[in-house]
Amino acid sequence: MELFDHLLLGLSVAITPINIVYLLAGAMIGMIVGIIPGFGPAAGLSILLPLTFGMDPIGAIMMLAAIYYGAMYGGTITSILLNTPGESAVVASTFDGYPLAQQGRAGPALVMQAVASFFGGTVGVILITVLAAVFALVTRSFGPPEFFMLVMMGMVTLVVLIGDNWRYGAVSALIGFALGTVGVDLETGLQRFTFGSAELIGGIEFIPIAIGLFGLGELYYAFYQGLHRAGSGGIIQYQNEKEFWPNAQDWIVSKLALVRGSILGFCVGLMPGAGATVASLMAYSIEKSSSKTPERFGKGAMEGLVAPEAANNAASAGAMVPLLTLGIPGSASTAVLLAAFVLWGVKPGPLLMEQNPELAWGLVASMYLGNMALLAINIFAIPVFVMMLKVPYRLLAPAVILVCTMGTFSVHGSIIEVWLMFAAGIVGFFMKLYGYSPAATVLALVLGPLAEETLRQTLIISRGSPLIFVERGTSLIILLITLGVVAFGIYMSHSRKAEKMKANAVDTSSE
Amino acid sequence: MRLGTSLRQAVRGAALACAVSVAALTAAPAMAEYPSASERLDWTIAFGPGGGNDIMARTIISILEKYKLYPGEIVAQNRSGGSGAVGWGHLFNQKGNPYGISTTSGSFLTTPLKANTPWGPSSFTPVALLAADDLILVVNKDSPIKTFEDWVESSKKTAPALGGMGAVNVDFIVPTLLAEKAGYEFEYVAFNKQGELTTALLSGALDAMVVNTGEVSGLIEAGDIRPIAFTGSQTPDWLKGVPTLAEKGYDFGISAPRGVVLPPDVPKEAQDWWIKTMKEVINKPEWQEYIKKHDLTPTVLWGDEFTKFLETNQETFGRVLKAKGVIQ
Repeated sequence: MELFDHLLLGLSVAITPINIVYLLAGAMIGMIVGIIPGFGPAAGLSILLPLTFGMDPIGAIMMLAAIYYGAMYGGTITSILLNTPGESAVVASTFDGYPLAQQGRAGPALVMQAVASFFGGTVGVILITVLAAVFALVTRSFGPPEFFMLVMMGMVTLVVLIGDNWRYGAVSALIGFALGTVGVDLETGLQRFTFGSAELIGGIEFIPIAIGLFGLGELYYAFYQGLHRAGSGGIIQYQNEKEFWPNAQDWIVSKLALVRGSILGFCVGLMPGAGATVASLMAYSIEKSSSKTPERFGKGAMEGLVAPEAANNAASAGAMVPLLTLGIPGSASTAVLLAAFVLWGVKPGPLLMEQNPELAWGLVASMYLGNMALLAINIFAIPVFVMMLKVPYRLLAPAVILVCTMGTFSVHGSIIEVWLMFAAGIVGFFMKLYGYSPAATVLALVLGPLAEETLRQTLIISRGSPLIFVERGTSLIILLITLGVVAFGIYMSHSRKAEKMKANAVDTSSE
Repeated sequence: MRLGTSLRQAVRGAALACAVSVAALTAAPAMAEYPSASERLDWTIAFGPGGGNDIMARTIISILEKYKLYPGEIVAQNRSGGSGAVGWGHLFNQKGNPYGISTTSGSFLTTPLKANTPWGPSSFTPVALLAADDLILVVNKDSPIKTFEDWVESSKKTAPALGGMGAVNVDFIVPTLLAEKAGYEFEYVAFNKQGELTTALLSGALDAMVVNTGEVSGLIEAGDIRPIAFTGSQTPDWLKGVPTLAEKGYDFGISAPRGVVLPPDVPKEAQDWWIKTMKEVINKPEWQEYIKKHDLTPTVLWGDEFTKFLETNQETFGRVLKAKGVIQ
């Protein structure tokens, strides 16, 4: 079969001793880059790009790609252990990952996230191998109207995240939307709320806000509770070796979440610009709203960690499709990969796979190997990461602040972003204290500007007519899916209420 | 900076007979020896690693090092932030220092218009314009528009939706000038990311877009999008047959300037040295390869000609953007 020929060709290119070394080096670097808060794959790739100048193109691209998807594995580790998402795609992993760690289940959480990452990544590569050409059509049908509809679908997620206290949730989201308005207005070029600062013309970035709200907010809260005076006590408990492996229950609840998260993640990853963040949040909210026991979410539900993890890794694979089949970068990281292609004289575009089959298929084949290597590296490395929890809090906390500061500063070299991070930390502390939702704030910060941009673009194109959303096929499909998701959510919450009432009546409460 | 002041004093001092002996003795050796091997060259890259400006700066530096054109050590520093405001602001503050240098790109013109920077493009000591990032006007392969004439004609009938990157940018200025002169209206749709812009065109949402040729060369080759006109002075080889705007009678001379500048008020000796050296750099095969790989148009202007180019461009930008209400 042609497909296997391609894959064999790819494997024959990828499996040379030197390329395997590059691949493993890339995977390790990616993990480390992902672990440092603030230091996402895009920053890591662009800093390491010049180092690959003297290398053979295929080895170099394999290494860079491994950094790219390796970062997705690493990013979750601090989300789980420190409640500090290293980048936007792993925010959803803090929701249940950190509660799991607080309950002493950091080991199983880390193992399951590695498994989920592997599963999502591998499903993604399989889909690329088999159906890249078909999926390219999805990317091709994506204009501003479709984008806006997708963002609206993400906004549905926001409602799920806001949770029970909708007033506090709405305030949290509004803070995020407000922050999202800062910067030069895209369509008119006018400055909004920049107060004349040149560093704010690009807007307020996600990274300093997320690190501040989650990571520093959590630290300040722990100080407030006096954890630093507790002597040898770590930030969270971790009992012993027997708690390392996930139990049967973890696997059972995660089974479907893995599949759903992977497929959803891959499809969302195909859309340029939406990427892993929207995918992981959508996966989380779908998991929560389709669950029979949504009240467990946010309190350490394994499927609440597994679904977004599978989704963000599948999305990073999905984002390779527009890159390989159209030469279109879907994210900051794939834009750096694209720059790397150009540097090596490869012309990205629809003919890439025909003109450079060794490179294209070598890259795809290396992603299979890379994901396997990352799974192994992760499982071996987890005990090392878990050791971090045994460090007394009074020593760990300053180190975390230092790393967060350096990570945030390194992204754009902007001291203003560092101040923003500290300010967000203080806000995050009060949000935690009074039960506001920092998750809603950061999600609104990501989605708000996207929604504004794409809506304005759409309405300029349609000369002000909203009918464009139903006239274009893809946009209509997304609209219908969104409505379906909303209807399903409402139905589920109603049927749960009905069930509860029945259950209360007969008094047979299950766990 | 102290060195710069003494150099300037030296120049002024040369006019005064009594000062000649003193000033020349202290400062003249420094001038004669520019660049001194013991001074580090501080190369400001106003953007992050991996971007267009960064790659250009590092290409020039590697050529300087490979052919030993610069005697001392060269240190490249990415000083990113505020679309170049931070990096070029840093260079601006090194007034008179002949050991500071930076590469320019499109934001060199647009950032001073967006933010109130204390500097403008003509504040610096010009060395050379080396290349231009030119744009190409493209339509979807399914579009009925086949030629430049089709484009003008159809645009006169119905105003097209044309996409580009950002509002305060060459992408907006050039189509605006073209529409003004050809006598049609259009709706400009600004995008933040190239990927979103390209898919918007592929999906049929936009009627046309302007884009740097390098970004879409693969799509053009595969026939997914059709080139209509090129804004630069000379169409690249692989786009033979595509007319330039100048050929069609629309010569605006606007493009994103990729050049090299020194801090303000740098002594003439240093400027001349860099002009001479950059003339060597652009003849090296590595530079030719860089131009080709990144699909740039070699557009070379030296010294004051470069400043004049920047001034004309900035004037046009300011005029168009003011007329359209984009800036005050």
